[in-house]
Amino acid sequence: MSTALGVTADPKLSELIVAIGERKDREAFATLFNHFAPRVKSYLMRLGAGPEAAEELAQETLFTVWRRAEAYDPGRSAASTWIFTIARNLRIDLARRNRRPVLTKDPFEPSDGPLSPESALGALQNTAKITAAVALLSPEQSQVIRLAFLSDKPHTEIAKVLGVPLGTVKSRIRLAMARLRGLLEEGP
Amino acid sequence: MTPRYHPSEERLLEHATGTLGSGPRLVIAAHLRACAACSAEVRLIEAVGGVLLENLPLTTLRADALAQALARLERPQIDTPAGMIVQQPEWISVAPVVLDAARRRRRWAAPGVWVAPVTGVAGGARTYLLRVGPGMSIPRHTHRGSELICVLKGGYADGGAVHGPGDFAESDDSVEHTPVITTDGECVCLVFADGRLVPRDWVGRLFQPIVRI
Repeated sequence: MSTALGVTADPKLSELIVAIGERKDREAFATLFNHFAPRVKSYLMRLGAGPEAAEELAQETLFTVWRRAEAYDPGRSAASTWIFTIARNLRIDLARRNRRPVLTKDPFEPSDGPLSPESALGALQNTAKITAAVALLSPEQSQVIRLAFLSDKPHTEIAKVLGVPLGTVKSRIRLAMARLRGLLEEGP
Repeated sequence: MTPRYHPSEERLLEHATGTLGSGPRLVIAAHLRACAACSAEVRLIEAVGGVLLENLPLTTLRADALAQALARLERPQIDTPAGMIVQQPEWISVAPVVLDAARRRRRWAAPGVWVAPVTGVAGGARTYLLRVGPGMSIPRHTHRGSELICVLKGGYADGGAVHGPGDFAESDDSVEHTPVITTDGECVCLVFADGRLVPRDWVGRLFQPIVRI
């Protein structure tokens, strides 16, 4: 099943993206590809893509990383965060082209709001810290968050899957978010 | 100006996970560009997405996946030129697709009112720009399904609350209101609506077939 080529939680992943941005470093790209492409494929398959489509979109995701690496700011987001947003956006674009009648296509657009002082602190780029915070969620909170990310379901559907009222899903989300914020603000 | 009315945390989560349809996504994106607090929240959720991605079990790729990827890097790349759309200086920042709609598809629907569809109609849902002149009121109405709004320019008063640039509002069929545009200038909003407005008085019943929202 696993083709884990080396690194599992390498803090240098963001440096690989920087290396691509600065000097089109193909070796860095290969390392990054081996690390992320199998994960992106898993992510897309969780969301209902077939293996072929998931692999194609994983290729597209990593290719987008190559093309846009110059725009990556390691002070703003972790490698995993950035690549997650690219995979997510490509998936949205693809779903839109396939299913929805639209007049024009949205541009590729990672979240690009103003950078607030809190996020500039760097807490958000600390993958280890966020991993720890996610692990500290209650099982119910963690389940709701996972379903929100890894199932292609709106919250009304998630409520049905869990057999709880929509209000319960909403309150679990709010509690989970408050908890995450609290854990991340606690300091190192 | 910092927005004072924000999307709920569930909406921000749906935005960050990519669950929202294109219309709601555009409206929330408009708010996010104006709101540092909600942007920080979305970035936090995206970081959680990154952590979940990092911890997913790996799925085997085709044997030649990396070779394919590397070969693609060697091919000449055609950069799609970014569309040159001039930002409306008086609006909060919005996606080019929204400006494009304002430029190409605005249609005067009544004196002081124009509408510009942003996306096509998908299953009864629509996303449009709505411009209403200063001091005018939107006839009393409620909604079929949910409605998401972000103010791009100007403002309106709804009950006691004044909504200005960047402010977000979500209403459904439990909300019946008569928003009044503030008198200092025109108001432009980006609106996503699941269903049509349901007019609640005769003015509204006259207004709706003309404006078609």
